[in-house]
Amino acid sequence: MNARLRVLLVDDELAMRESLAAWLRQDGHQVTKAAGGLEALAELERQEFDLALVDIKMPGMDGLELLRRVKDAHPDTLVVIITAYGSIESAVEAMKAGASDYLLKPFDPEHLMLLLEKMARQRDLLRENSALRQRLNEGECIGFAGLVGQSPAMRAVFGQIEDAAPALAPVLITGETGTGKEMVARAIHNQGPRAFAPFVTINCGAVTETLLESELFGHERGAFTGAVKARRGRLEMADGGTLFLDEVGEISQKMQVALLRVLEEKRFQRVGGNQYLASDFRLISATNRDLPALIQQGRFRQDFFYRINVLAIAIPPLRERVEDIIPLAEHFLAYFAAQTGKANLVLDSRAQRALRAYPWPGNVRELRNVIERAVIVAQGSSVGLDKLTFLSPLPEADSSAMTLAEVELAHIRRVLKSQGGSVSATAGVLGIDRSTLSRKLKKAGLEPS
Amino acid sequence: MVPLGRVSATAAAVVAANLQALLGLNTLVVRPWPEPSPCLVPTRGQYDASLILRELAPEGESGALRLGLINHDLCLSFLTFVFGEAQLGGRAAVVSLHRLQDLDDGSRAPQALFLERLAKVGLHETAHVLGLPHCRAPGCLMRFSGGLAELDRLGLEFCPACQGRLAVGRARIRRGDVRAPFGSGPGLG
Ligand SMILES: [Zn+2]
Ligand SMILES: [Zn+2]
Repeated sequence: MNARLRVLLVDDELAMRESLAAWLRQDGHQVTKAAGGLEALAELERQEFDLALVDIKMPGMDGLELLRRVKDAHPDTLVVIITAYGSIESAVEAMKAGASDYLLKPFDPEHLMLLLEKMARQRDLLRENSALRQRLNEGECIGFAGLVGQSPAMRAVFGQIEDAAPALAPVLITGETGTGKEMVARAIHNQGPRAFAPFVTINCGAVTETLLESELFGHERGAFTGAVKARRGRLEMADGGTLFLDEVGEISQKMQVALLRVLEEKRFQRVGGNQYLASDFRLISATNRDLPALIQQGRFRQDFFYRINVLAIAIPPLRERVEDIIPLAEHFLAYFAAQTGKANLVLDSRAQRALRAYPWPGNVRELRNVIERAVIVAQGSSVGLDKLTFLSPLPEADSSAMTLAEVELAHIRRVLKSQGGSVSATAGVLGIDRSTLSRKLKKAGLEPS
Repeated sequence: MVPLGRVSATAAAVVAANLQALLGLNTLVVRPWPEPSPCLVPTRGQYDASLILRELAPEGESGALRLGLINHDLCLSFLTFVFGEAQLGGRAAVVSLHRLQDLDDGSRAPQALFLERLAKVGLHETAHVLGLPHCRAPGCLMRFSGGLAELDRLGLEFCPACQGRLAVGRARIRRGDVRAPFGSGPGLG
């Protein structure tokens, strides 16, 4: 394990930011500081971070809001919330919103150290998982597998797919990361009249604007430095078939205008070309962003939105269709078992309970990864809880399921220990008065010695 | 080296000897400074270590490295306590004697154990000043200790990788990036 983390430290308080950053650097980490949510988001666009340490109480965008936006746009960045003693409710809320852990100020040095080690391990696990994901995406495709589901919500999605398939109108698919938006798009394509024509995808969030332009429109030889050969763009390749624009929310306004023009005129030019080309494709777009909100903020064009959102399909997150979790898990289990030559694997009841309780921030894709790992490490015919590796804490095993009183008591114990058992020192550290603390201790059966 | 308030002369001498022997830094113990009372955090009964560092090495001032020794318990705004604190690659560090005198059961540590711990923390913090971050090698003095038990498990030595980093740090001082008004030549005032 490499213990060094790339940390984004977000705190509006200058003194706290400086001293914690200094401490983290001393511990060998690479630290970038941000004084607020917007600054933090800008940094996240600029570089990748393993861990964001976020103070929950900040003016403007607070820590919870920032947490949600980080989890949305950069799901591989771990988030730990820093909160003051006395606002534990928000810490628990943060855990539910996808925080990996939280720290109550002031923290015990030992505790901080263990937390950083835990985050380094989780980061390694995330990297391993994304390598797995890569392999799956490049190689074998599970086809309809991601569309297993018997919940009313998923049945509604299936109905919408059936309705959309024969039409030619553009479709916008929305849903969180990992819900299977691309699979829905493929299903629409496969069930429609264009099933035998190409299904061409492009991830708009993964490339720069210039690259996206030449990827979509193609370019002529010499159109720009490095354009040694003329190249067909995805618009041309999708002729007769379907063009799937993934992460359409990331497209710049300039590109939105250009695409809008193509959709209206049904013709376009290659970059550096002067000849009009025609392409007849069906457009399916997908996003995990709230496009109407982006329109409100002036970051997405309304006219482009109306064009791509003629038919809308919203895929619910896995945690909102708990009844689908076990069928999906069993489906993946059978799939990966067959792949690795392990026959007849079953999930034991504790494993099933954990799978159902877990909030699945990474949705179906995360479930698929968890099951694949479990199959690799499984011995015998039964898969137990110990074979399941979750990226976020399991609700029942971690503090997010602790009651507030339990969380509070655990923190008091830690501080009390660090203060050598002194009640007045502990009260000072916690910022409450001695009599309140004594009362809490008595109530918990912890008589001060 | 700067005693902050009343600090045992033996303790100061032991730290000085170890800095000299293991880090090769000429070390002078100067006359005690008054207690850094502005750095006291009244609600916690502890001294804020980062404020003390600023007193030891005011911004814009250059000169010898300074290691403060203090009897009181130290903390940071975000940590319940620290044995010591240092400016990484900077000029100042501070070490508290407070917790080093205890045993886990609350009784007093034997003098020899206390002095050994003090030497370890003094070397660790000074090495931070020389630019060394924490190290994960077992037993290395640059390992982070969150408590006395861990501190006691450390040897009185740096791992080979950290020794290499120390050589680089000492070269920085010899080049005169940090000047030494105390004593002669490079050293720790
Ligand atoms: Zn240290
Ligand atoms: Zn080392």
